[in-house]
Amino acid sequence: MVHGQFLIGIMIGSALLLSSCSKPVPPTPTAQEALALRPADPRIASLYESACKACHAVAGTGAPLVHDHAAWDPRWKQGLPVLVDHVLQGYRGMPAGGQCLTCTPQDHQALIRFLADQPEPKP
Amino acid sequence: MISRRTALTALGAGAAVAGTGVAAVAIANHDKPEPLAPPSTDNQGRVVWRNWSGIQHCYPQSRLAPTSAEELAQILKTAQAPIRVVGAGHSFTALAVTPGTMISLDQMSGILGWQGDNAIVQAGTRLGNLGPELAAKGRAMANLPDINKQSLGGALGTGTHGTGKALTAIHGDVVALTLATPNGDLIDCDATREPDIFQAAKVSLGALGVITKATLRTTPNRRLHRHVWVEPLEQTLAEAESRWAKHRNYEFYAIPFTDMAACISHDETDLPARERANEQDDTILVALKGLRNLLGFSTTLRKAAGKALLSSAKPEEAVDEGWKLLSTDRPERFNEMEFHLPAENQLKALKEVIETIERERPDVFFPIEARRIAPDEAWLSPFQGGPRGSIAVHCHYRDEFAFLFELIQPILLRYGGRPHWGKLHNLQGRALEALYPKWNDFRKLRERLDPEGRMLNHYLKGLFNV
Repeated sequence: MVHGQFLIGIMIGSALLLSSCSKPVPPTPTAQEALALRPADPRIASLYESACKACHAVAGTGAPLVHDHAAWDPRWKQGLPVLVDHVLQGYRGMPAGGQCLTCTPQDHQALIRFLADQPEPKP
Repeated sequence: MISRRTALTALGAGAAVAGTGVAAVAIANHDKPEPLAPPSTDNQGRVVWRNWSGIQHCYPQSRLAPTSAEELAQILKTAQAPIRVVGAGHSFTALAVTPGTMISLDQMSGILGWQGDNAIVQAGTRLGNLGPELAAKGRAMANLPDINKQSLGGALGTGTHGTGKALTAIHGDVVALTLATPNGDLIDCDATREPDIFQAAKVSLGALGVITKATLRTTPNRRLHRHVWVEPLEQTLAEAESRWAKHRNYEFYAIPFTDMAACISHDETDLPARERANEQDDTILVALKGLRNLLGFSTTLRKAAGKALLSSAKPEEAVDEGWKLLSTDRPERFNEMEFHLPAENQLKALKEVIETIERERPDVFFPIEARRIAPDEAWLSPFQGGPRGSIAVHCHYRDEFAFLFELIQPILLRYGGRPHWGKLHNLQGRALEALYPKWNDFRKLRERLDPEGRMLNHYLKGLFNV
């Protein structure tokens, strides 16, 4: 009996796993969609407009496009602390600080979450 | 211009020429490691600031982003010195470095108003954002630099420029400006009101205070025809002067170790818009770096492969509004030295620079940029007093760049060059006094406006011999 429940558990777990693995990746935003995206928080939106948008909302700049899961999901897997450190230090074509002089590390976290289209953590 | 496939094919041919097996592998992979990064925070928890290329850094005590000229003026009066303003951080020198107060003008951005066709622009406006704002009124900046991420204030302060025999650097189109000074004043100046402050402040390295806004001459927002092509360097050098005379904008990149050059012209046109192809410069750089890595041991082989690669390049054509064409995205970071020489010396000096690099520095692969700029009268403008031809030598951000000071700067100085204020050089005091007739007038004005030296960091103290 226990053995049977265990098998059912594994089957349900596998199904869930498969279902999450096969979750379709949202399509890459079009050029117009990328330009129109904006963080909901007014302060973060202001920082995004002045610092991130020039590169991350324009295809072909070398920067991963805002809300482009194909580009962002592998990066997101590295973990937020790693991504924040890349911003602070500069990474490949991206200048240190991400062009945002007054961003705090928490601001960088919020901006990365928005760019990667990842939800805010629950309080 | 060069497809990725072409580049890879050429590199494959290069690899075949390079030899076989282990030897070729040993020669390859000359990519340098990532430079050591400073800690992300210091022992007091202050977050690091680094410039775009990564060679300058500091841990500012405070970072401020005023929203008005009045707030900025108050900050200059009260904040912890040294006070430095930073825009995009594209300067390679230590202009922005400070342990005190670092200011961003990102909250002072956009067009404030118009005086006829002259736009009153806040100094924090990024050049890339100014283009569409001006275009909405059918106007444009007459010229743009190669990179458009800079703030207007940063571009003015360092004498940033584009190319074009009849076109001045950006500050040449400033007809009035407002300067916030370290004692908290806001000074409006132009050619008749405080004319000395006006001519000094246009290019002032943030040493007199902070420009809060500038009134810019604009031009009709015309479409430009962009043409990019590759040809033998010998032909480029022979025709350079006539092309500068002929084209609205013309520049070329001499590509070391290939005897080839890439040329770019822009001319006004009424042709319908024709989209600019995706940037290929990055692909070319990857290919040139690959050639260095594989064939750096033999200039002869490297030149043969480089010529084969570049000869296959097809010309690029595009038609669009100037603000969309004149600047380029530069995803590959680099360090750079640029000097502005009397126009008649530019090509002679360039030949010597190329010969020196090909003789002494096989690790260099970045193209060398040559541009032409019309004169203006700002006191510390490198273009003060006559037309200048610029020569810019770039190094990949991972590569060693000390040779720029040891080998390249002496050549450029010998031909009468003046350094770009935002790019690498090590001139100070008397060496600069010899290059600028108004140098000491500027120093006296600086002492009058900032007697306590609140705007001076370590780098500027050395520059002005304070």
